[in-house]
Amino acid sequence: MSLHLIYHFHSSQNQDGEFRPARYKVVYFFSGQEFLEASFLHEMAKSVPEADHRELTFMSLDDIKAFALRVCQELGEDQARLVSVLDYNIALDGSKDRESLQKTLSNFGDLVGNEAPKRSSGLFGRLFK
Amino acid sequence: MRFFEIKWRSASQLIHGAKLNYLQDNSQKQDPVRPGEQWFFYWKTSAALWENRILEFPQHEVIFIPLYWGFHADSASTWDFGEIQPEKDLRRLTQLLLQHNRSFCWILPLTPAPFLPNGGVPAQGARTLSLSREGVHLAVLDHEEKLNKMFSFFDPKVFGAFNDFLENFSSFLFRHHIKAPLWGMEFSYLESGAVVSYIEDTSLAFEKGFSRYLKKNFPEGIDLTQTNEEEKLKARFIDEASGLFKGTAENILGPFWQGSILTVALGGSPRETIERSLTDGKNQYKFFDDLFNLHVKGYWISSALLLPEEKKELMPKLLSEHFGGQEIDQKFRYKTSNREFRPFGLIDLYTHAALPGFEKTGLIGYLFQNYRWMYQVHSELVLTRESFDRDQEKIKIFHGLGMDRTRFGQMLKLFLMGQKIILDKTNLDPELEKRLQVFYMENNLKVQSINFQTLMTITDLGEGKFVTYEGDKIKEGSESFKFWNHLFTFLGLTHPEVQLEKDVFSLWRIRDVSSQDLNFLDVRRVNFYNPTSYKKKITIKTKKHFALMRTIDPLKAEARSTTDGVEVDLLPFGRIALDFGHYEEL
Repeated sequence: MSLHLIYHFHSSQNQDGEFRPARYKVVYFFSGQEFLEASFLHEMAKSVPEADHRELTFMSLDDIKAFALRVCQELGEDQARLVSVLDYNIALDGSKDRESLQKTLSNFGDLVGNEAPKRSSGLFGRLFK
Repeated sequence: MRFFEIKWRSASQLIHGAKLNYLQDNSQKQDPVRPGEQWFFYWKTSAALWENRILEFPQHEVIFIPLYWGFHADSASTWDFGEIQPEKDLRRLTQLLLQHNRSFCWILPLTPAPFLPNGGVPAQGARTLSLSREGVHLAVLDHEEKLNKMFSFFDPKVFGAFNDFLENFSSFLFRHHIKAPLWGMEFSYLESGAVVSYIEDTSLAFEKGFSRYLKKNFPEGIDLTQTNEEEKLKARFIDEASGLFKGTAENILGPFWQGSILTVALGGSPRETIERSLTDGKNQYKFFDDLFNLHVKGYWISSALLLPEEKKELMPKLLSEHFGGQEIDQKFRYKTSNREFRPFGLIDLYTHAALPGFEKTGLIGYLFQNYRWMYQVHSELVLTRESFDRDQEKIKIFHGLGMDRTRFGQMLKLFLMGQKIILDKTNLDPELEKRLQVFYMENNLKVQSINFQTLMTITDLGEGKFVTYEGDKIKEGSESFKFWNHLFTFLGLTHPEVQLEKDVFSLWRIRDVSSQDLNFLDVRRVNFYNPTSYKKKITIKTKKHFALMRTIDPLKAEARSTTDGVEVDLLPFGRIALDFGHYEEL
């Protein structure tokens, strides 16, 4: 069973007089069983340079992929599916109920593979999984 | 008449006995028609079964009938209230309710309703799906595992259809002399600790509406390069749009209109749609946490979306004990008897806008630690004879932010009538500050000033106590707890002290004494719930003012008396209720 990360692309903005560059924000991150703990995700995001680990925002798609891969490694998962909110909305539109949503979600998004899934997960994985 | 009715019901139940039993048995597993809070989803069953289903409601309960307005749309401009299809025959439905002497009222959704397909919007008007702040479509998993997709209320066609429905429904009610009351309901969900209305939207329909709003209100243009400014204007636009739906309903359905109530749908957020779809689903502890946090913030809840497996273990008990008939009667202002237990709290805070201010002074943290689930935040101050009697003993805390002359006057009136009032003067209008000084002089009140972390003033009048302080001067952190501890000790709250872990939940109720009770002042009942899979311990110190009267309905729980009070052991998913008699110290 893979992990799912739903992200939202925010274009650059002026906020409180400050320029905020375009970024990718993690909206939801979950396994087939449950949502991953926010504190665990914040800790994992620290491994990606230039990421705002508190906001879970990343400067590029490659960075968010690196983050997803780091989480996979820590939890000993094979892969993560990266789904943009646009794709998630398409999945929602095509679903009528709980079962069809589950099925649709399992086929959506870009796969990020963990080439060497660990048999046993890391420290955080053991704590949060 | 009464005798006839009972006889008639007996006969009816005999005739339909088998079917009724089947339905009742079935309803324990899953009942799409009665999803909770005395709601009746008439469109979920055949009109031929309405009578049986109505009889399943206890006689004393008010039946709430949500209006699925999109269901009655026959075409873009014609509405069917039973003239064509029997399933839409609201006249027959009301006749059945009256025939069986049932009290009922309508619930009109003023926002997209999460338990209705399309959010209630007729198929002809359902064109643009609503988007959350995160850009996700608002789709909600209902109690039958179906995905209900919310459509934007900012599409002009939706408002047109809503207005048309109201006109036609009003004519229908007048034509058939149906006088049942009607409540407007604004539905919201809870996400990341914030209550968000289903009317909130970021779809293209919303953006187009916002653009029209800007053109109308700022014909000479406006600089929106700052995100904050744009967000503020968008929030104002949403408020105004929300007010438009509410105002139109109140205007058209005036004779039946009772007011509007904000209701938070448990399990109804975009995040919960995913969470509830996952294998483990959303666990009981998380639902309890949501429910109790909503309760202290004064929000009314609906459990209509919860799946049968989510309404298991402790949840049905909690809902029936604290969000059932008594609470519904109180919320909708139907009279309740003082002989029965009614909701009980110690502290009321006004208002939601001031909540961040209260949090800054450490008040909320202090209350959570010392009076957990015993305080409530209110958006408005309702002053009726019932509310005055009911809440006489509560400490009421006001904030200068957003305080207007009316609320200020009400606050002083409560003090004059013997209540305990605290006012945080931060952001208080200088005019009201002057008025306060005049009030002291006019009533010849002695004002005592104390400088402890902040400048406090204390005034007494009979039983009444009036304390002011400047919240912005209170130091943050543990120091502030000393301030609050002194203040609440001075105000003298008489209530058992409860020590419980963060993930154990409790709620109190109170009733007047009856002839069978000893010489108590009142009787207080506490319900404890442990929705976790760990054993928990609770200590209750009765402080020479309370005596344990009885233990009620323990499940995986044990209570024992100690020299200080009572100790309770709660096993995983255990619950217990304890009654305490309140007496004056001898």
